[in-house]
This record gives sequence, structure tokens and C-alpha cells, in this order.
Amino acid sequence: MVVLAIIALFLGIICGNLVFPEQITNYLSGVSDYILYLLMFCVGISVGMNKMVFQKIKEYHFKIFIIPIGIIIGSIIGGACSVLILDIPLNECIAVASGLGWYSLTGILLSNLGGATLGTIGFLSNLMREIISFMIIPYIAKRFNKFTAIAPAAATSEDTTLYIIMKSTSEEVVIMAIFNGVICSAMVPILIKIFYPMFL
Amino acid sequence: MAIIIVMSIGFLIGYFIFPKKWKGKNDRIQILLTTLLIFSMGVSLGSRENFLKDIIGMGWESLVLCVLPIIGSIIVVYGLSIVAFKNKKH
Repeated sequence: MVVLAIIALFLGIICGNLVFPEQITNYLSGVSDYILYLLMFCVGISVGMNKMVFQKIKEYHFKIFIIPIGIIIGSIIGGACSVLILDIPLNECIAVASGLGWYSLTGILLSNLGGATLGTIGFLSNLMREIISFMIIPYIAKRFNKFTAIAPAAATSEDTTLYIIMKSTSEEVVIMAIFNGVICSAMVPILIKIFYPMFL
Repeated sequence: MAIIIVMSIGFLIGYFIFPKKWKGKNDRIQILLTTLLIFSMGVSLGSRENFLKDIIGMGWESLVLCVLPIIGSIIVVYGLSIVAFKNKKH
């Protein structure tokens, strides 16, 4: 998926820069709103189909929510701190950080809300989060504890980074990682929609 | 708001009536739609006048907006996990 996403982005840039006339570019951005709705509908179906997650809530009670809550709070604080370094408004920094590693959706949503530049920052930043997570999860599991190993992965802990989490921790943590990924993924569009219009 | 409503409708359909055997099809549709949308994002990015100059700045901004949220998440989750999973720490 990472390769496909990067190829699609590059092809798009080339077509937008050299191939497509302005009418096609405008038409595409109009159509993309409808494609986005269709995508969100399908994402909703995927989240709803994950029934195992709802059983686990009963088993672990509220404790299972601690990791996703911690990740969301930590990411928002980190995003807010970025405003001290970057020349980007606070709401945009937090909205990018709210992507929680789900680069494709964040890029699309932010592009829809704040234009192509913000969309691209959202895409690149969250793609980097996934790649960096791959590299640091084994170290985090050793240096901190096995639960913290899920923290950098955020929304990707249910799919792309699950294998490396499994390798670095235990089965119990894998279940938590899947749960965390589902919760974080479901929260990404909600957080972006909440934080983008804030502090304006 | 409309996006959240559409997603919630999908959620209810996924939870109650969506057949399990169509899971693969749903995944493939998502990949196709995502690829289309990323392509479209690339098009609107590439059609900007100062595109090449902008992309260098974006790389640095993206890195900062990636590293700080990772550090924030690690600190908060580590703190909370020590309190919540006291007995299970290895």
C-alpha cells in the first residue's frame, strides 16, 4: 500500500504539473469529494465488522482504552508543540498530528479541508510516522515497556506495524495493538474534523 | 460533519448486516478509492506554480509534525501504562 500510495502521489504530481489542462484539474477536485464520502462509508463498514474488538472491551474494561487515549493526547500535545518550531497555525499542526499515522486518509481529509499543501504535509508526516515506527518499536519495547511499543504506531498498530509489534512484545499486547488500531483509526476523521476549525 | 455521518452509517451496516465474505471486496474498494484520492491530491499539488520550491519546505514541516507527536505519544502512554498496568510490567 505504501508503494502504491507513493506512486499515485508522484503520478498525480506529474499529471498536474505537465499533462492535465486546468479544466481536468478542477473537475478532479470536484469529484474527489464524492469519492471521499464513498471511502468513508467503506471505512465505516470495516470498523463495524471488527466484532472481536467489542468483546475485548468487556474483558479488559476501561483499561484497554488507556493506550489509545494516551496516544491521542500525546500526539495532540506533540502537534501543538510543533507550532513553536514551524510557521504553521496551531489548528493545522494539531490536525496533521491527529492523523495518527494514517497517512492516506489524513492527506485526503486535510487536502479537502485546507488545500493541497496541508494535505501533502498531512500525507508525508503520517507516512514518516509509519516508517519511523517500524524502526523504533523494537527499541521502545526494550527501553520502556511492551505497552509503550504501541505508542509510535498509533492507528497503524492494527495492520502495517502489527507484525513488528508482535515480534517485539507478547500475544497479549498484540490484542491490545489491534484494539488500539481500530479505536485510533475510527478517531482520525473525528479528531481532524474537531481540531481543524479550532483556534481560527 | 457529513463525513462522520456517512462513516457511522457504514459502521452500522458493517456491524449488523454486511456479509463477512465481502470483506475482501470492501478492502479492495478502499485501496482503489484511496489511490484515486491520493492521485487527485497529487494533481492539485502539481498544478501549483511554485510546486518545486514548496515541496522542500513541506518535507521539513512533515518531519517535525511526525517526530514530536511520536515523542508525545511515547511519554504519555509510558506514564499511563506504569500507573494502569503496574502488575503486568515485565
